[in-house]
Amino acid sequence: MRQIVLGVALVLLWAAITANFSTPNLALGALVALGALAFLRRSFSQPLHFRKLRALLGLSISFCVELMLSAIRVARVVLTPDLDRVLRPAIFAFPLGVKSDAEIATLANLITLTPGTLSVDVSDDRTMLYVHVLQHTTREAFIAELQNGFERQVREVFA
Amino acid sequence: MTPADAIALASTIALAMLGLALFFTVYRIVVGPTLADRVLALDLLTVLAMGFVGAMAIRTGITLYIDIAIALALLGFLATVAFARYILSRAALKDKG
Amino acid sequence: MEDLAIYLGCLLLVAGAGFSLLAAVGVVRLPDLLTRMHAASKAGAVGGGLILLAVPLVALDASVALRAILGVLFLLLTTPVSAHLLARASLTAPDRGTPMIKINELEREKRISP
Repeated sequence: MRQIVLGVALVLLWAAITANFSTPNLALGALVALGALAFLRRSFSQPLHFRKLRALLGLSISFCVELMLSAIRVARVVLTPDLDRVLRPAIFAFPLGVKSDAEIATLANLITLTPGTLSVDVSDDRTMLYVHVLQHTTREAFIAELQNGFERQVREVFA
Repeated sequence: MTPADAIALASTIALAMLGLALFFTVYRIVVGPTLADRVLALDLLTVLAMGFVGAMAIRTGITLYIDIAIALALLGFLATVAFARYILSRAALKDKG
Repeated sequence: MEDLAIYLGCLLLVAGAGFSLLAAVGVVRLPDLLTRMHAASKAGAVGGGLILLAVPLVALDASVALRAILGVLFLLLTTPVSAHLLARASLTAPDRGTPMIKINELEREKRISP
């Protein structure tokens, strides 16, 4: 059932992108959608709940806000005449509370695009995420901020 | 100011800024000092070129340009991934002999 | 109404170009690779994304808007991935770049000359 909804959505998206709703183009879109669904069959094992969609929406909105803030903050750092005074780079190890591949990947991508942080590496046993910080305060403050912010939101989306 | 004037003015300013940005980025590519710095600058160069194409799309009104911009973004991503793999494999080769 | 969208698009275009310029300034001014990466990945992605979003506002075309939004999503998905890969590569395989090559050339000349 979900696959049918997704397939119809993909066909409509195809028609909208090509700006052409004629029958041959819709048929071509259906072919492409079938191919994509066949490829992605295994990725959609979990059912999607309404609650999750709301969590996803909240995460997207806070992400957009954080993204703009981070760009503005980087811009302000770049424009400071005395760079040595404002730059306090450090690499912190962040103990990961989330375990699955998808969660870690999402969290790492979010961290890279939020103010002053850049995810650098994941330890081999997947317990630590190494994060480069542009202007560090203390290790504890940094970890607490991430745990209460994005990590909790990511867990709500994937839980 | 009519909309046409606004488009002409904004696109001129944007193209000038992007041109200056491209110049700075080329400076970083030439100076280096490490290979990773150059790859980073090349990555930024593709994003800037994408912005340039977008600004041209607005200036000329030919919206087909936006497809080119998206293709450029894809190309830049693939190039950076390939370069990162190359840096890793080069280090592995150096370790061996 | 249409005029308003065009003025908004022009504003977005200039803002995006400004962020792109700041990203380039950051890549030149900041002292090492990882700090430069902050400038290139954040300001660069925001700059490119704003310019892409400005195109449909000026053109006022639904299919262009859809393509631009897909392009921005793609940009926001791929930029952190490539930044992460490059940071990881440069940390696990630190290379000294240009000075290294100079040393190699000197060694080869020494080897050939006697």
